[in-house]
Amino acid sequence: MTARRAPRTAKPRAAGQPRRKPADEVARRLAALLKLSVEIGAAPDEAAICRSVVQGLHEGLGYGFLGIFLVDERTGDRVLEASVGWPDAPPRLRLPPGRGLSELPLQSGRLHYTPRVSGKARYVPTPNRGSEVDVPIGVNGRTVGVLVVESGKPDDFDHDDLEILTAAANQAGLALARARLLGAERRRADEHKALLDTMADLTAELELAPLLQATLRRAVTLLGVTGGELAIFDEAKRELVVVASHNIGKDSTGTRLPLGEGAMGTVAETHEPLLIPEYAEWLGRSGKYADITVHSVMVAPLLVGSRLVGAFAAVHADPERKFGPDDLRLLNMFAPQAAVAIARARLLEAERQRANEQKALLDTMADLSGELELSKLLQAVLRRAITLLGVTGGELAIYDEAAQELEVVASLNIGQDSTGTRMKLGEGAMGRVAQTHEPLIIPNYQEWAGRSQHYTWSTIQMVMAAPLLIGHRLVGAIASVHSDPTRQFGPDDLRLLNIFAPQAAVAIENARLYTAAQRQKQYFEDLVHNNPVAIVVLDRDHHIITCNPAFESLFGYPQAGIVGRDLDELISTDATRAEAVGYTQHVLEQGPVHGIGRRRRRDDTLVDVEILGVPVVVDGELVGLMGLYHDISELLRARQDAEAASKAKSQFLAHMSHELRTPLNAIIGYSEMVEEQVEEIGHGELAPDLRKIRAAGRHLLTLINDILDLSKIEAGKLELLVESFDVREMVDEVASTVHPLVEKNANRLDLRCAAQLGEMRSDLVKVRQTLLNLLSNACKFTDHGTVTLAADRERNGGGGDWLVFRVGDSGIGMTPEQMAKLFEAFTQADASTSRKYGGTGLGLAITRRFCRMMGGDVQVASDPGKGSTFTVRLPATLEVAAPAGH
Amino acid sequence: MPKILLVEDNEMNRDMLSRRLARKGFEVAIAVDGRQGVEMAQAAAYDVILMDMSLPEIDGWDATRQLRAAPSTRSVPIIALTAHAMSGDREKAIEAGCDDYDTKPIELERLLGKIEGLLGRNGKP
Repeated sequence: MTARRAPRTAKPRAAGQPRRKPADEVARRLAALLKLSVEIGAAPDEAAICRSVVQGLHEGLGYGFLGIFLVDERTGDRVLEASVGWPDAPPRLRLPPGRGLSELPLQSGRLHYTPRVSGKARYVPTPNRGSEVDVPIGVNGRTVGVLVVESGKPDDFDHDDLEILTAAANQAGLALARARLLGAERRRADEHKALLDTMADLTAELELAPLLQATLRRAVTLLGVTGGELAIFDEAKRELVVVASHNIGKDSTGTRLPLGEGAMGTVAETHEPLLIPEYAEWLGRSGKYADITVHSVMVAPLLVGSRLVGAFAAVHADPERKFGPDDLRLLNMFAPQAAVAIARARLLEAERQRANEQKALLDTMADLSGELELSKLLQAVLRRAITLLGVTGGELAIYDEAAQELEVVASLNIGQDSTGTRMKLGEGAMGRVAQTHEPLIIPNYQEWAGRSQHYTWSTIQMVMAAPLLIGHRLVGAIASVHSDPTRQFGPDDLRLLNIFAPQAAVAIENARLYTAAQRQKQYFEDLVHNNPVAIVVLDRDHHIITCNPAFESLFGYPQAGIVGRDLDELISTDATRAEAVGYTQHVLEQGPVHGIGRRRRRDDTLVDVEILGVPVVVDGELVGLMGLYHDISELLRARQDAEAASKAKSQFLAHMSHELRTPLNAIIGYSEMVEEQVEEIGHGELAPDLRKIRAAGRHLLTLINDILDLSKIEAGKLELLVESFDVREMVDEVASTVHPLVEKNANRLDLRCAAQLGEMRSDLVKVRQTLLNLLSNACKFTDHGTVTLAADRERNGGGGDWLVFRVGDSGIGMTPEQMAKLFEAFTQADASTSRKYGGTGLGLAITRRFCRMMGGDVQVASDPGKGSTFTVRLPATLEVAAPAGH
Repeated sequence: MPKILLVEDNEMNRDMLSRRLARKGFEVAIAVDGRQGVEMAQAAAYDVILMDMSLPEIDGWDATRQLRAAPSTRSVPIIALTAHAMSGDREKAIEAGCDDYDTKPIELERLLGKIEGLLGRNGKP
């Protein structure tokens, strides 16, 4: 027999390694576990519980071979209670204690995972050569059995499996504990009832009805009267009920008399016997006895102490017989005995009734596990507790772990609806038991010091509270109250509450898990339903299973009309069919796919969509795929418009700059020429003005060139020309180029180059331009100071070296505000800077863009008045994947 | 005296550059478009041709290609005058057969340096 374990995972993985699971799989496993726990909860006995566990793990979670052995407490044998995947298993196979894998948890109380089972380790007679997990099943901290899970493959269980199996074994343990407790309690209730039945048989007079008849007959004989009636007092209705009637002219059994009505009603009120010599003439007679023809009547109340339990009447039908003092004496002797007998019988009756009720309640307790709607369940739990304990009222609270508070969720007949009240641990009766995990009886609640201020309105007398626990975990608390000061809670009540509380806890926890799972399911469904992206789910044959409203409106098909249809047939055209089918195949065979395409609507119009396809994997098995379609026609239109606008802008700028430069060339050229000539013709005094014209022209030209550069960068039109060059040579060249500028403001250039700068592979012109821009700025804003150019190479073993250039000055510096917008186009520190220092305000914007194009960046640090340092970091080797700008 | 053919359509640039070159001692002949430039270059021998690239009739690149194709003008040095930073202009110029290029606006000293360089290469003054 080999374990037939369905492949549950797509990829092999190392045992014991936690593995991230998609949310749907986690939700599915949770649902399977929950279903398992509900089934276990509904199982009526131990065998059924074991069957539920192995079946649930097999069907819901795909384990191939499972068995549960429980220890027979009498013999110590291990008995196979249930198994799956082991068709030739001997029914209720018995094994003596021995040595083997399944014995390990019974000895250690811990889970044992054996990734590779050797033949020698066999104890359970299966020829397993794969891997095996043995999980202890505990009841109240004692290991009573073992869950054995086998696979034909070695290393077939992972961390999640072990967690799931542990959870299932814990559920089984809880259920077994409950079943055993319930069984024991049911047996006790049965015994109790049997005892009472036997007692009733043995002492016939303890049965109320015969007792009453016998009492009446004995009284009639004793008094030597014609007949009589016996009534008992119904405390709830404050009425007498005739329960036995003998020879008074009619059967009056069942007649009800309020206090004060008729002869018996009168004595019940006065607690005094009464003699009526001629009943027909008595004014107090009840209309209910108008048709009888008795003459003399003697009536007495039946009292136990001062408590009324009933009334007795004796009558003479013979007009000659009158009641006298002797009769009264006899009656006074008899009445108390009758009263005590009746009271005792009634007590016994009530006790038996309660025993019956308790048995019935215990029998139906398992129903609680079936109710999964939390609010209904909580009400049912509380009602049942109140009935079971025979109390006035009660309340139920659940524990909010996040807030560490109890919240009252059901409240019944405690004087006010306390639902919604929140209490901290330790606060009030329920808070106290939630903290101590022990039940609590408070005999006089009104005087109890621990009362919560939330219950100042309460007039209840006695409280019994218990925590609701699963193992050691707090789920909630329950309180039952008496408003009758004469009722006391005792050990019996506590015993019942102790039976009830764990079951209520499990039921609440199940409902809570279920509600959470439902909520999560609802959440995912809402997410899909309300998603603006069109979503469609397909089976493995490309047929539509479901779609969301966004899909309906994007493609124009109502869901009802397309379920079962082939998606690609539906929304692709002849031109795009191959592509669409290709996407679907790719998702099913290789995984997620992402693309842009054009699909067909119902009205044959086409829509541009971004397409995302993802496989839907449940429990390691590919069941279909999900397609997401995002309408991007607007986006594409916008992009086309933007591209057209950008192209137009670039053309305009190129054209404009050409048009502007042509006359500028003339201005600069003629002014240069005239400048040369004025000296020759003896008008040297005009030379400065001509120089100004030329300088202004040059400035304008730089400005135009910078604008053109910037617009080209922004249009992505400026290309990188990557070549290898020696960094040191480049730096020296830059230093010599900038030399005149350095000297202009009487500055000094401090050149600091690291010894081994090596080669760089980048755009030489742009690197040079970057350094020149920064150096010319530094010179411009520094007077009689030092301008520093430092170069260094940051080695990085992986071959991704960086070259770092620092350009520092001791100039005017900048404030943080000024630095913040330094690299934006047309920004100098302020307008006055521009007037004082000149420049287009574009140099740094271009510099930063150059640096970024080359895979690096430029940063600035500065102190106003102390100078600035610009740091340029560029990769030593610029990898150009695709030509920039295309 | 080295003879320069300046092919330039813009009147002011033409006037200015020709006068400044003349002041530096060159004999400057002028063509106003590409077609005239080719005709003049084939009609007479020049030591250097300064060729604007954006010209009417035949543009500078075509004109250069035609000159390079004709035996009589195959080896006459041509300097392309290109607009600033118009990407690809200078590459296209070299591809078309120009010996060197300079960007407008003209910096006279720089241009003179390039002219001198080409004249020297050809073994002329």
